[in-house]
Amino acid sequence: MPGFDFSNHARNAALHAQGFPLPKATSTGTTIVGCIFDGGVVIAADTRATSGPIVADKNCEKLHYISPQIWCAGAGTAADTEFTTALISSQLELHALSTGRNPRVVTCMTMLKQHLFQHQGHIGAYLVVAGVDPTGVGLFTVHAHGSTDKLPYVTMGSGSLAAMSVFETQWKSNIDREGAIKLAADAIQAGIFNDLGSGSNVDVCVITKEKTTLMRNYIRPNERERKQRSYVFKRGTTAVLREKVVERVDIGKYVTVHEVPLEAEGEKMEVDA
Amino acid sequence: MLEAREFPPIFLCPVCKAPQLITSKYASTFLFIYQPPKSCQEVLLGITGKDFTLIAASKAAMRGATILKASDDKTRQLNKHTLMAFSGEAGDTVQFAEYIQANAQLYSMRNEADLSPSAMANFVRRELASSLRSRKPYMVNLLLGGVDPITDKPSLHWLDYLAALAPVPYAAHGYAQYYCLSILDKHHQPDIDLERGLELLRLCTDELKRRLPIDFKGVLVKVVTKDGIREIDYDDSKQVQSA
Amino acid sequence: MSSPFSINGGACVAMVGKDCVAIACDLRLGLQSLTVSNNFPKIFPYGDVYLGLTGLATDVATVSDLLRYKVNLYRLREERAISPQTLANLVSSSLYERRFGPFFVSPVIAGINHTTGKPFICGFDSIGCIDFAKDFIVSGTASDQLFGTCEGLWEPDLAPEDLFETISQALLNAVDRDALSGWGAHVYIIEKDKVTKRLLKGRQD
Repeated sequence: MPGFDFSNHARNAALHAQGFPLPKATSTGTTIVGCIFDGGVVIAADTRATSGPIVADKNCEKLHYISPQIWCAGAGTAADTEFTTALISSQLELHALSTGRNPRVVTCMTMLKQHLFQHQGHIGAYLVVAGVDPTGVGLFTVHAHGSTDKLPYVTMGSGSLAAMSVFETQWKSNIDREGAIKLAADAIQAGIFNDLGSGSNVDVCVITKEKTTLMRNYIRPNERERKQRSYVFKRGTTAVLREKVVERVDIGKYVTVHEVPLEAEGEKMEVDA
Repeated sequence: MLEAREFPPIFLCPVCKAPQLITSKYASTFLFIYQPPKSCQEVLLGITGKDFTLIAASKAAMRGATILKASDDKTRQLNKHTLMAFSGEAGDTVQFAEYIQANAQLYSMRNEADLSPSAMANFVRRELASSLRSRKPYMVNLLLGGVDPITDKPSLHWLDYLAALAPVPYAAHGYAQYYCLSILDKHHQPDIDLERGLELLRLCTDELKRRLPIDFKGVLVKVVTKDGIREIDYDDSKQVQSA
Repeated sequence: MSSPFSINGGACVAMVGKDCVAIACDLRLGLQSLTVSNNFPKIFPYGDVYLGLTGLATDVATVSDLLRYKVNLYRLREERAISPQTLANLVSSSLYERRFGPFFVSPVIAGINHTTGKPFICGFDSIGCIDFAKDFIVSGTASDQLFGTCEGLWEPDLAPEDLFETISQALLNAVDRDALSGWGAHVYIIEKDKVTKRLLKGRQD
């Protein structure tokens, strides 16, 4: 891994010392949950991304691919969950290729926790790792500082309390696939409606020994109505001072990409025999 | 590791809002970005016209409350038709300007062609931007005036100590910005001749004499045209009645 | 003291239409309340993909230069133009590389994918998290206002001419409620076989 570039850090530390606040990263003030069932595991997430009090993205994806049978739900700093899971996914694929075995959920969890612990909590990724491997079903939580849990049902993010209340009242052992999906989706909806940091839709991913099913926008309880009338301005409303049109055929004038004839006469390049 | 709260309190310049002082104990540990207070009182002015770019820089060399010299030249010629004016932290300014000047001259010698003013401005910006990310950045504000040797178009580039670059028809640095930009907003036209340019400059320097609390010892005026750079005799002796 | 994102001011917005996309920015460059330049565009073309950058002016210049360098190298190595999706991933990884010393910019991308012919827009935070949107993306000191105007004015499947009016009015009316943005605007309407760039008349106060 090439690693991070710290060359702006000194400058930004000085700016921060002068009282400049740190930049607002898009955070997934989030509800994410996971629940194992007989023969598999389900994880689910809401789809709201926030930047301070502003909803930055109303339908983002918080379920990340690690390997075909291992998926990850992410909370915390959005960029960190995105890049950390992509990094571990890549390393795990290489690992699987070199060992010739399917990757295990514990391996994934261990790689994540070691990466996060090395960075001492500065990488703000809070993850639910779930999957099925040759050893069976796995469900873990990984915190930004590197601690992990292994539980039959888990919740994370700002909506974790709302979601956990659903699990604590309705979860039972030897729950079946449909029951687990409904429970997870209900837990996410508890987050969506009771936590301000969570909202919009429910994404669900079900992993069994046979297959993985990603159900993007499994429940959409917050559909926006179509506008009742059109708010298009009359053409010519906006005052234009200057206009320039570039046709695609002319784009070569602005971008220096030209087809070079392959065998330009008399200019053959000399090559070694 | 030092936490943010361990830094000593910072006093802000009432006008430019830049921090004025950080004790030297921390200066070696962290880079700090602030505009030294005196750079606010140094005057840099630039005006472009039909076929020229005027650059004016105050002649006072200051250290604290003392004026060390009344005939300071805060400009350096980079090549035949590019002139750079600078203000900021003592030492940094001349060091940076002459570093740029040397590189500009080296480029001209190697390539037997001068960089155009806009190419030069982007080169200077790059140098300043990479210095900004070093442990001890240069604290210099710059104006780059020039005339393009091929198109004969005059140009003026404004660069602050954070390496923000903007091509502009007229510009100023320090307190002078607050007085002169409004005057130039009202009176400047892109097609003015040198005579009118000097009239506008007179309006500006008169206003500065009238309103700036310290004596900046008049300005040194240079003009860039397609024929090169020359100094202009500028009469600073006239007393301006304060309002 | 203000945040690095609001020293220089500026606003940018991108929108999707029917087989077209639009991206627009204001033209102000300031130092806190003092306006230094009213001709500081924040949209940069990379082939026929467009990148809008708001935030700290020095980083706007540095990031646009850095990406021009990277996109030029891409074009030389691959012997083809960069697609908007690829540029999005390039911007994202370039920003995340500096996770612990970020550039103070909020980028926006707009373009049409030449192989699929589909419009594409996206936005980023300063550390490279991509925000894929089907409707519009906003950034800059007027982003709160832009969220409001876009949410109210945007509708699906706008024709290029209507998209131009919608994005222009969304931007102009947003920057009129932001002291740090405005002073004119640039609008690009990107269609499959042509790009139209317009300079808008805006308030000069």
